[in-house]
Amino acid sequence: MVFSFFTRKAIDMIEFTNVDKVYPNKVKALENINLKIEKGEFVAVIGLSGAGKSTLIRCINRMHDITSGSLVVDGTNVGKLKGKEIRNFRKKIGMIFQSFNLITRTTVIKNVLVSFVPQLSFWRKMTGIFSKEHKLQALTALDQVGILEKAYIRVDQLSGGQQQRVALARTLAQNPTILLADEPIASLDPVTSKQVMDDFKRINQEMDMTVLLNIHHVEVALEYADRIIGVREGQIVYDGSANEVTDEVLDYIYKGKIGEVKQEMYKEGAYV
Amino acid sequence: MNAIEKQLYAKPSKNSYIYVISAVLLGLMIWSLFVIDFGSMEESGWAIAKNILLGIVTPDLDFLLDFTTQGVMYLLVETIAIAFLGTILGAMLAIPFAFLSASNVVPKPVAFITRLLLIFIRTVPSLVYGLMFVRVAGQGPFTGVLTIALISIGMLAKLFVDAIEDLDTSIFESMTSIGCTTFEKIRFGIVPQLIAIFLSIGIYRFDMNLREASILGLVGAGGIGAPLIFAMNAYRWNEVGSILIGLVILILIVELWSNYMRNKLVRG
Amino acid sequence: MFDKIFPPKQVVLPNGKTVSEKRSRTPLIFVTVLIAVYLSIRFTNFEFSLLAKRGHEFFAIINEMIPPKWEYLPHLWQPLLDTIMMSILGSVLGSLVAVPIAYLAASNIVKNKVIVMVARIFLSILRTMPTLVSALIATFIFGLGTLAGTIAIFLFTLAYVGKLLYEQIENASMGAFEAMESIGITRIQAFRYAIFPQVLPNYLSTSLFCFEGNVRYAAILGYVGAGGIGLLLDEGLGWRDYASVGMILLMLAITVFLIETVSEYFRKKLI
Ligand SMILES: Nc1ncnc2c1ncn2[C@@H]1O[C@H](COP(=O)(O)OP(=O)(O)O)[C@@H](O)[C@H]1O
Ligand SMILES: [Mg+2]
Repeated sequence: MVFSFFTRKAIDMIEFTNVDKVYPNKVKALENINLKIEKGEFVAVIGLSGAGKSTLIRCINRMHDITSGSLVVDGTNVGKLKGKEIRNFRKKIGMIFQSFNLITRTTVIKNVLVSFVPQLSFWRKMTGIFSKEHKLQALTALDQVGILEKAYIRVDQLSGGQQQRVALARTLAQNPTILLADEPIASLDPVTSKQVMDDFKRINQEMDMTVLLNIHHVEVALEYADRIIGVREGQIVYDGSANEVTDEVLDYIYKGKIGEVKQEMYKEGAYV
Repeated sequence: MNAIEKQLYAKPSKNSYIYVISAVLLGLMIWSLFVIDFGSMEESGWAIAKNILLGIVTPDLDFLLDFTTQGVMYLLVETIAIAFLGTILGAMLAIPFAFLSASNVVPKPVAFITRLLLIFIRTVPSLVYGLMFVRVAGQGPFTGVLTIALISIGMLAKLFVDAIEDLDTSIFESMTSIGCTTFEKIRFGIVPQLIAIFLSIGIYRFDMNLREASILGLVGAGGIGAPLIFAMNAYRWNEVGSILIGLVILILIVELWSNYMRNKLVRG
Repeated sequence: MFDKIFPPKQVVLPNGKTVSEKRSRTPLIFVTVLIAVYLSIRFTNFEFSLLAKRGHEFFAIINEMIPPKWEYLPHLWQPLLDTIMMSILGSVLGSLVAVPIAYLAASNIVKNKVIVMVARIFLSILRTMPTLVSALIATFIFGLGTLAGTIAIFLFTLAYVGKLLYEQIENASMGAFEAMESIGITRIQAFRYAIFPQVLPNYLSTSLFCFEGNVRYAAILGYVGAGGIGLLLDEGLGWRDYASVGMILLMLAITVFLIETVSEYFRKKLI
């Protein structure tokens, strides 16, 4: 580790080798995926709806099982995990969803504290009383996304962007090594989308956290990510720097429907 | 003028139904005039009406503010206690019934039969249960508690089921990704959502139960009802006035409190 | 209030920032409820042992109700009809009288605050009076019989429909009403043509809903001598003739079910 610090040798965080994923209903969602993501990268996965983006991301924390091939995440062979091992493994990986998945009828801090639930002692689980350290960690996470002053307010009184930040704080409180996000800005307006994307960027840079996100909006992906992965019909058809993505590349990823995709986004007003 | 014409000629689309209902009601009403027995009005009625009004205007204040076991205040507290304990007991009993009548939890026939049973429980008037429980537990407030608990089950179970079916389960996805077990998901994902709703349902039912408890005394099931009947039968109208004033004020206060609390619980 | 007694706690983060944490109300609520339960148990002489010892009696009574006594059916028609008719007459009259009272209680139509207040307080007090208590009082004034029951149902309907109606009137759109008033049509006329059509479907639906509930209430009014099937219920239970009581309850359940089904059908069509 010390050695790698001096030479800045890259550490592999996620490594897919010949991964296939077939759903029980025989849908082949991923086909022969080979992919290496290093620590501290900011990667965006783009592609048409149904291309397999969510499946790709959800295999990483074993929300879905892979069918064949091997997937190593932070030194763990994900496919071999069982029962309790899966839950322990997931604690290291943060995940953000399109629908913020918060308990809206309770306070912000209680939502963030949920990330400590798996490590509570039995009586704390029964009573639901959290320790002072946990509370401080939760508040610190809220401070990192800039909504500390909302800590004791009920979630249903926050805007969509603020709610996504609560979800982000909940994930940060987990102190993960990898941050996964499945369409994090799909239900936000342009202005709040930008704020949330800025948060992701800052977390990536300040905490050197690996960020992998699915995104519907090409411009946003190109603006924020260092690296773009294009998925088409379950296969990776582009993998490279964001600067090198040309219109031809996009055209291929989106099967020539890039005009429609942009048009649709223009109508939604969903650009940053 | 335009707005007026529009209103004048505006034909509500539901017109035909309104006419049908009105005609049916009118017919039934005329029929009912023959069934209702109007001959029973007695001469002394007006005198009594006057006395009741006088009694309400000049209540027996000592009796109203009396905290001993014979006074209005004590009886009102007893009524509250009956309604409160009955609601809590009813809520606890309603939870298993709620699960037994949720068709996504138990087999369809079981759910159907449970629902039918709950509807039947609800149809029977509370006084009937009161009279039945008097045979079981004798006269007194304990009987009132049992009655209130039983009549609350049906409505509480139904509202609980609705709340459970309305649950937002998207939090499960996140909790899975955090590494939570099923128990943890229920404890920290579902219970916090349900507590607020169940509390507000309970408060709503408590408000209704207070009204029920105030009449259960008529069958000897404790609370303010029995002294009301005694006072009336003995023509002690000032006492009747005290009881009615106490009862109305109590019910109004509880109604205001219940509306306030439920608003707070639901809207935060 | 709560925040004054238990002032918010200042939490200091490792980076020096502070947030004020409102004290949780859960412990206070929890303790209050526990105390209330304890006191209620004391007040009501709650005894589990008694329930455990004699609880089966309750089921014994139910057991005697089944099967119900079918021969009793012919005696039931008249009281059942009385009950339904009491409900209908009381509900219709109550709903009709509710209109002028709701008019007086609607602050967007009547500008005199005193009248509005008086009308509202009148409705509130009337609504808190349990139907059985009004029926009891009515039997003293109007004598025993169906008239007393009708009056009690009338009063409750008046209060219930009146409250909901004035709220609907206050939510109605005022454009046409103001236009009519400005050209000199009387307030009542303007109300009749501009506001009433807007609230009519809701008003009818509320009245029907109230009527459904009234059938249940009417069934017990006989207990205080206010007519209907309640008298037979009281007699049956008094003589421990539980099979007859079972028959009454069965008929009552069927009647209530039929009335609710029909009324619900019309309510759905109205809104
Ligand atoms: N749970 C599932 N069961 C069966 N098929 C699925 C499931 N989830 C996704 N799919 C299918 O897998 C394919 C890829 O889906 P997904 O990864 O959700 O795409 P994206 O996120 O890019 O829109 C689609 O054809 C979809 O219908
Ligand atoms: Mg997707």
